[in-house]
Amino acid sequence: MAHSVEIDQKEAWSGGQSPFRISYGKIFMWFFLISDALTFGGLLCAYGFIRHKYAEVWPKAENVFTHFPFVEQHLPLAYVGLMTFILIMSSVTMVLAVEAGHRNDKKGVIIWMLWTIIGGLAFVGSQAWEWYHFIVGTSEGAMRNVWDQEQGKYVLERIYGANMTVNEYGVPQFANFFFFITGFHGTHVFSGVVINFVIFMNVLKGTYERRGHYEMVEKVGLYWHFVDLVWVFVFTFFYLL
Amino acid sequence: MEFHDDYPQYELMAHHSEEEGKKARRKLWNVFWIMLVITIFELIIGFLAPGQGWSGTTWLKVLFITLTIAKAGYIVIQFMHLGHEVKFFKYAILVPYTIFMAYTIFICLNEGTYSSRPENRTKLDPILVKQQEDLRSGAHHGGGHENSAEHGAEHH
Repeated sequence: MAHSVEIDQKEAWSGGQSPFRISYGKIFMWFFLISDALTFGGLLCAYGFIRHKYAEVWPKAENVFTHFPFVEQHLPLAYVGLMTFILIMSSVTMVLAVEAGHRNDKKGVIIWMLWTIIGGLAFVGSQAWEWYHFIVGTSEGAMRNVWDQEQGKYVLERIYGANMTVNEYGVPQFANFFFFITGFHGTHVFSGVVINFVIFMNVLKGTYERRGHYEMVEKVGLYWHFVDLVWVFVFTFFYLL
Repeated sequence: MEFHDDYPQYELMAHHSEEEGKKARRKLWNVFWIMLVITIFELIIGFLAPGQGWSGTTWLKVLFITLTIAKAGYIVIQFMHLGHEVKFFKYAILVPYTIFMAYTIFICLNEGTYSSRPENRTKLDPILVKQQEDLRSGAHHGGGHENSAEHGAEHH
């Protein structure tokens, strides 16, 4: 493989050689991703902690996310399955863009990056739809004792959907973690789409063709795969378990 | 200061030939099919779980977490090319993270068990508890909680 090519010591970092035989940009993208992964890991562990604490009243995803666009029936997991498929697919198109970059195939990079951007936008849109249904809730809603500030006591009320204080599907903490973790992940997907778009424009302009290599595509690719990686875990811990 | 990241030496690392590309693409599509099959399998199991009474069983949790880690491994090793980097770079990335996360998972589950004792928990809305009990025993979702309303109001 091309990766095993010996690097001339004179050409490497000013320290004398390139640590780990990997470029500066890629090393620091990896280090950034580790710190980001620690953030997501911490969030998911906190989720595990609270879920463990309220195990017997924790809502089951199959009772919460049952909608599918244009279908009236209850279809648990179908929609999130589609979202997962979209994100895995866009990860594949990204890695194909990286591979095309290795062959200096500008046209290939353009096509695959475009598909990646479309996939990313489709995912963010799907997530918005999911949030909308979660926030609006069902038509029946659920009864709750809600604290009334004026009367200074709990009053019985019918509530619909979920927000940061009440959640018709179960404990409010479920909604808090759902909003925070999928929101944080969605922000990553959105910024990934923006970064991909910037690099895509550079590819179109021929910046990397003139430079002679498509390493920037590889670096944003690392970020994009990371976003997919996080989703794999969010999918399991929020929807499957 | 001018920004540049086009250090010429790394050109060497980022190129491969047409044949190598073909091989690499075949491998990537294989990884995609494996991940797709795993995901569909997970969805089928997840779809059947409530009806079969598998929900919340230990073997189901272990199965899902194992499959998740398998998918994560494919993403990191194949898509992110960590498998192609030198040995000590793999260690530098994976070892600190694994140690730290193992500790965090341990401490969260441990403390989660302790703090789930009734005396350590915030009091839950009894209507909410009733709703979850109904859902678990298979009653219809939403509505139908009026009966428990008085009982709930009394509590406060």
